[in-house]
Amino acid sequence: MGAAYGLWLMACRHGLSSSVFSGLLGLFHRPRATSRTLLVALLLLSPASLAQTLSQPSPNPSGGISAGGAPVQALSPAQEARAQAIGRTIRCPVCQGLPITESPTDLSQSMLRELREQVGAGQDADQITTYFAARYGDTVLLDPPRRGANLLLWLGPLAAALLGGGWLLSSVRSRGKLAPAQLIENQADELDDVPDEYLAQVKAEVKDSERSRASLPTQPQPAHGRTP
Amino acid sequence: MTSKTDSNPIPAPVSPLRRVLPPVIAAALVVALGFGLFRSSNGQVGGPLVGKPAPAFTLQTLNGGTLSLASLKGRPVVLNFWASWCVPCRDEAPVLRDLSEKQAANGLAVVGVVFSDKNIKAVNAFVQEYALAYPSLLDPKLNTSIAYGVSGVPETFFIDKAGIVRGYDQGGLTRERLTAGLSKIGVVY
Repeated sequence: MGAAYGLWLMACRHGLSSSVFSGLLGLFHRPRATSRTLLVALLLLSPASLAQTLSQPSPNPSGGISAGGAPVQALSPAQEARAQAIGRTIRCPVCQGLPITESPTDLSQSMLRELREQVGAGQDADQITTYFAARYGDTVLLDPPRRGANLLLWLGPLAAALLGGGWLLSSVRSRGKLAPAQLIENQADELDDVPDEYLAQVKAEVKDSERSRASLPTQPQPAHGRTP
Repeated sequence: MTSKTDSNPIPAPVSPLRRVLPPVIAAALVVALGFGLFRSSNGQVGGPLVGKPAPAFTLQTLNGGTLSLASLKGRPVVLNFWASWCVPCRDEAPVLRDLSEKQAANGLAVVGVVFSDKNIKAVNAFVQEYALAYPSLLDPKLNTSIAYGVSGVPETFFIDKAGIVRGYDQGGLTRERLTAGLSKIGVVY
């Protein structure tokens, strides 16, 4: 159970949340065009909705160049590492579950440049993620904040595991409470489900074979030793 | 085998809750997903910026001048993000041109912002093709687009006289959707 929950959290962190659960989160947040597309594709409920998806720019295959060709602000190695770490938690709004650090689109590169500028200006991770979430909604965060309706996402599996585990435990315990004799009786009950006609046939054959064995004349036992 | 041979054993009674609960949970899940899926199908959704001050910007126009949002303070503004490669933008361009022509006298400002489009030639051709008289601004670093949370085009923000975002539309304006957005900033169209 623990391992499964760990996998769930990993999936949440790596973008599954923005696809599978955006429908649920859509109840509480403004669904972005991309997340709606992913949800539609996943559920295959309404292919027509795909037509309403916004037009989006194609990825820039060259990548790594900030939009407008502007020079990227120089950061210290520690600041750069921090910018990359924060960037890994921001979803590229026009991609499917990719962080902006891994997306070559102009928009992601511009967002990363904006993020680096904010890191350079001394903003902390909370301030930066709040900045992007205020503009793109919480669906832009690959690490959904543990508050409000998102708690359902984080605590739902845990609650399900606890409830399921509790049910399993109680059913195992109730079986364990049965006395051994009662268990044997229960098994005998199961044997009773065997159709009677077969059992009767077996019994009849056993009886016949016993009767025929009893009716056979007793043969004189040969004497040991050599015959004269 | 003796007293136990009962060909029709009476099943243990199942509580109504246990019978009803699984279908109820399944139905609730389907309704929740359906609601999340279709609630924004008309394009009129409450974006994160609705109710908040419109982010300030100062950008270059296509003809070399500059325009800032601050300079439009006191006027309702329709801010439209578009690109020449965007098909729905072509559908809504005539609607926005009509709006700018008819409402300019009432103080409404229509402003376009070019989103993720480096082909200036195509941008100019788009403006000429649809005879757009309202200013179109260039956002080469996408700073303004990011400040407004734009991820695709077209997206349109309706900003009231006090500079607060009151309405938002994505996916191509129709006359009805434009009228609905304008009503949020006190413009009758």
